[in-house]
Amino acid sequence: MCDAKARPDMRPVYPKAGSYPDFADLVDDSRAQVDRRVFIDRAIYEAELRQIFGRAWLFLAHESQIPNPGDFVRTYMGEDDVIVVRQRNGRIGAYLNSCPHRGNRVCMVDSGKKARGFICNYHGWSFGIDGRLNGTDGKVYDKDPGFEKSAIGLTPVAQVASYKGLVFGTFDPEAPSLEDYFGPFTWYLDVMLDNDEGGTEFIGGCVKSTVECNWKFPAENFVGDILHAFWTHQSGAEAILGGAVDLGSRYDERAFQASVYGHGIETNLDKVGNTRTLGFPELNDYVLGRYEAVKARLGEVRARMVGAVSSCTVFPNFSFLPGQATFRVWHPKGPDRIDLYTWTLVNKNMPERIKELYRKGTMITFSPGGVFEMDDGENWEYCTKANQGWVTRHQKLHYGLGQDSAWSESDLPGHIHRGSLNDANQRQFYKRWAEFMRFDSWGDLQRAETAPPAKPLPQAAE
Amino acid sequence: MTVQTVPMLDETPVGDALLRRIERFYYREARLLDREAYADWLTLLDPGIRYWMPAMETRKRGDQRGPWTDGEMSYFDDDFAMLKVRVARYEQPSAWADNPATRHLHIVTNIEAIETGTPGLVRAFSCFENVRNRNEKDQDVIHGRREDLLKLDGDRITLAERRILIVQNILLSKNLNTFF
Ligand code: FES
Ligand SMILES: [Fe+2]
Repeated sequence: MCDAKARPDMRPVYPKAGSYPDFADLVDDSRAQVDRRVFIDRAIYEAELRQIFGRAWLFLAHESQIPNPGDFVRTYMGEDDVIVVRQRNGRIGAYLNSCPHRGNRVCMVDSGKKARGFICNYHGWSFGIDGRLNGTDGKVYDKDPGFEKSAIGLTPVAQVASYKGLVFGTFDPEAPSLEDYFGPFTWYLDVMLDNDEGGTEFIGGCVKSTVECNWKFPAENFVGDILHAFWTHQSGAEAILGGAVDLGSRYDERAFQASVYGHGIETNLDKVGNTRTLGFPELNDYVLGRYEAVKARLGEVRARMVGAVSSCTVFPNFSFLPGQATFRVWHPKGPDRIDLYTWTLVNKNMPERIKELYRKGTMITFSPGGVFEMDDGENWEYCTKANQGWVTRHQKLHYGLGQDSAWSESDLPGHIHRGSLNDANQRQFYKRWAEFMRFDSWGDLQRAETAPPAKPLPQAAE
Repeated sequence: MTVQTVPMLDETPVGDALLRRIERFYYREARLLDREAYADWLTLLDPGIRYWMPAMETRKRGDQRGPWTDGEMSYFDDDFAMLKVRVARYEQPSAWADNPATRHLHIVTNIEAIETGTPGLVRAFSCFENVRNRNEKDQDVIHGRREDLLKLDGDRITLAERRILIVQNILLSKNLNTFF
């Protein structure tokens, strides 16, 4: 019954986007409201895996984690298990961690060094670090005329690219380049990634934890919710600084929110506001001591952002706090669960002692035992869980702070809003979310409302 | 001082009387932590303490790095001053993840103590089960092993070093609002 000449077609399949106008309508920008169902509904979550995690550029690794050929780390893109591995030619590849035979994971570990390949535990198929099928156990397939080894391998992530040390991947062969995906937001990313000529690295290892929340709550928190710091983080600020987090009016003139394609940063220009919360005066001195050098490199605005009260999300789920040097990914695990991966990013040229203080500072502030993070997870979990109520889920959520704060004359890149105490970036984040739901083509996506207003990039060192 | 791997064969267990004192020390410590009596808990610690809980990686048996690496990402890598900062947070009524209060249970077991060769310094091993429950039914359970260095000074025992090795790769809870 089976045609003897038929071969299984093992070419990679990258599902196409569709469009979900009904879901897109759940974000009502004119009323600054978001429907609570986007945080709990399974069908919406499945649409996110397809529309957002199946298309967007997603954070994979820092190049410093995999310096040599065969070095690899395992991570996720959406719920897809992925191996990120340095190739013999020095480039970085990424592959689905799933055997094309019966689907078993071919890599069970978090990371490894100088691997020659990956062997599946089930029937012993072995793959090169380039994903190609190298061999099978025994001679069974050698004698099987229907078997075509060269056509079988680990499915490659469609595009992989680096930006100043950070490696991203997308499952969409049609996605624009990583630089186009960022647009002028790179101007802000450079505050962390390019404030020193030597570049950056991750301190070894990764702290991982689980939070029973929808992935968008932490993402929106980092994209623009500095407002919560005063209340949520009172206890942590009291412990480290001996007083509440100072978000007061004396900083408001020096604060703004910037957003491009849903990527957003809210920041102050107070130089070391967040670095101070790490609790090591030596670190404040270090950051202040580098001020002139950073100013010469990046200009005054960005030099003031390096250690400042600030936070950032790269759409959809990669976030960091410049001043605390904590970098994290919120991996979705269903509508009501994430796995949180946390790293510390430092400049390669920093003295070892300073790197060590950043490492310890991450632990005491933003890691599961940290005096700040401890109180965040609790909020995000109950934001998610409370929405399960049938009547509750039909109430809208309020994103209306600072609707008149747009600062269109600003020559900073992106959509700029005055003051960081407003919901501007969160509105942009959900607008981008809705654009990903509504549009199936990148042409529409890149021309949509969250696209950056046209203006020239400010000179690096003005 | 660094907690080092001890050769398994030539360990010399401490005498029964000292072991009994060490057990009492641990049970009392667990009771203080259950009660969130953190200021009292701090008095059990040597001011030169290293309190360290490395993040656990899943790696191949052949990987020479082992499941954790000194100097890499950890849940805790604290000196005494950092532990005092954490305690200061617990003392705030605005420590929301602890207000309403968390219900704690620390079970300590498998207690062993061996000589280090240095007078007044004993190495001790123990296992723990840590249960935290709060609000209606939020429950986190963590199991692990502690490797300690204890300082003996007359009647007094203090904790000079603690390494906490949990069995979880991804921490199956949102936070660690406790000590181990
Ligand atoms: S499932 Fe991988 S070899 Fe069979
Ligand atoms: Fe927070």
